[in-house]
Amino acid sequence: MRKTIGIPRGMYYHDYHPMWTKYFNNLDGKVVFSPKTNKDILNLGVSKCVDEACLPVKIFHGHVEYLKDKVDYIFIPKFISICKREYCCPKLLGLPDMVKHSIEELPIVIEPEINLRKVNSLRNAVINTGRIFTRNHFKIANAYMESMEFQKYYKSLLSLGIIPTEDHQNTHTKDIKILVLGHSYNVYDEFINMNIFNKLIENHVNIITADMVSADDINYYSNMLPKRIFWTDGKKIIGAAYSLLEKNSIDGIIYLSAFGCGLDSVLVDLIQRKATSKGVPFLLMTMDEQTGEAGFNTRLEAFLDMMEWRNKNEDYISSIW
Amino acid sequence: MGLDIGSVSTNIILIDDKDNLVFKKYLRTQGKPIDMIKEGIKELEESVGEKNICGVGATGSGRYLANIIVGADVVKNEITSHAVAALGFNPKVRTIIEIGGQDSKIIILRDGIVTDFAMNTVCAAGTGSFLDRQALRLGVNISEFGDLALNSKNPVRIAGRCAVFAESDMIHKQQLGHNQEDIIKGLCEALVRNYLNNVGKGKEILFPIVFQGGVAANKGIKAAFEKELKQQVLVPENYDVMGAIGAAALGRKKAEEQGYTNFRGTKLYEKDYKVNGKECNGCSNLCEILEIFEGNEVLARYGDKCGKWSP
Repeated sequence: MRKTIGIPRGMYYHDYHPMWTKYFNNLDGKVVFSPKTNKDILNLGVSKCVDEACLPVKIFHGHVEYLKDKVDYIFIPKFISICKREYCCPKLLGLPDMVKHSIEELPIVIEPEINLRKVNSLRNAVINTGRIFTRNHFKIANAYMESMEFQKYYKSLLSLGIIPTEDHQNTHTKDIKILVLGHSYNVYDEFINMNIFNKLIENHVNIITADMVSADDINYYSNMLPKRIFWTDGKKIIGAAYSLLEKNSIDGIIYLSAFGCGLDSVLVDLIQRKATSKGVPFLLMTMDEQTGEAGFNTRLEAFLDMMEWRNKNEDYISSIW
Repeated sequence: MGLDIGSVSTNIILIDDKDNLVFKKYLRTQGKPIDMIKEGIKELEESVGEKNICGVGATGSGRYLANIIVGADVVKNEITSHAVAALGFNPKVRTIIEIGGQDSKIIILRDGIVTDFAMNTVCAAGTGSFLDRQALRLGVNISEFGDLALNSKNPVRIAGRCAVFAESDMIHKQQLGHNQEDIIKGLCEALVRNYLNNVGKGKEILFPIVFQGGVAANKGIKAAFEKELKQQVLVPENYDVMGAIGAAALGRKKAEEQGYTNFRGTKLYEKDYKVNGKECNGCSNLCEILEIFEGNEVLARYGDKCGKWSP
């Protein structure tokens, strides 16, 4: 019988799931995802996870708890560094350890370490993971190559502005352009972010994500800072914001941040200052366990009202001239 | 007519076509917004008779509920409503400080348009509820709070970062034997400090500054703002119902444009409204669905994520 591998739908799932799926499928494994985040998953996560963790980490615990009786393995890679001389968020560094500490009766956890600060780390991760399923190294290498191709295809879709969680598509015909920023696990989890994409699309907003900004631009503009950002997520967020602000190609920024996020405490301030100096409206949405949407909607509505008000006023001035 | 259904207060006002306030009712919501709307409208009819109401605007966190019960032409968020009302009060306004029961906001305007705003985050330190609670603890009526603060000559310093810490800090100061006035003034200053550091962080606060919302009644807070900002702070006469005034102005404009109003008539207070809450088991989201009945007829259902219940 084919072995089943559970992949929790949280944290870096939104960045890498096509690659992981392809890889395990090629090794004759069967991939099982947890469902989209919902109230049950949240409750499971909150009850299992240490309470100082941020919301996405708690939710990740919920996904693991949901999967644990249903699969042979659970896949929780240990992301230490995915870019040269950079680090991931500390919560990702310790994610498999946190989960193993907090959740009992887990199936076997597959936790390859991905640390590009070390030589051969990725190669070892790929091979050691593959050896759980086959001893054929050629097959493992092949599975990896194909999964990388698939990953590239997925990234190219994201860069075109396709939003993976969305039923409606982002049509890019609307007037107002808003950059939606944040870690991918907040931006692409519609439970955490209270379905902000749907709300924006209903209000005729053209959504831009950091995934739509090219890697070259991200590197170039994040280097405008006097000191380099050594978190990979942070670099992407800052680079995307700075490049679009410098090019004057957005009308507003909405930053989705989970309460208590250490990276965001730095990033938000840097981006807010830049946005203010460029006269671009900036809205910070702090999210935690609340499921009441009133406060969230009020801020969003007021923000959109304000942009409309501004635009009208600009038209008004131009009609005089 | 303007309705502002907030967490702490429910305000119903009437303005005429020249923006004069004809009727004003400030009620404590006490967690029963529907009853309070009915009560307010009943009083409205009793005091001014069945006037010709030609437009309705609703705002506040209960604005969608108000819309269902009353029938509004405009359902607007609090920020826009407050900005519109403040512009009516002083067209040159460049900063609005609004402190209500659960929210505190800062709205920055330039040349009569909103250019920036901020609201408090998950924390409630720096809102009316915080003061309410501390007044209760001190055994002081909240309406005397401001006058007592003005009597203080030597305010104590109280930590304002978090309502819970502020409370324990205040108790320590009480145990040391400080005057009640000094503690109250210390609380006012702590609230203002927290507001400026949290909500007002990074905002350019320029004159004229308008201070509105329920907390503007508190002279101690107004004085603390003036001390901290070193500028005069203006409090409009109807500071406590500014959101409703803004909503009314927007509702009137919309009704004029569309040529009719959605208002369901003042007799609605005679009707019986029931709310039924239930959990939908259709999927694992377990949405909390609310059904609002008028008599036996369903007026509205909402609360779902998928659109199964709400139209």
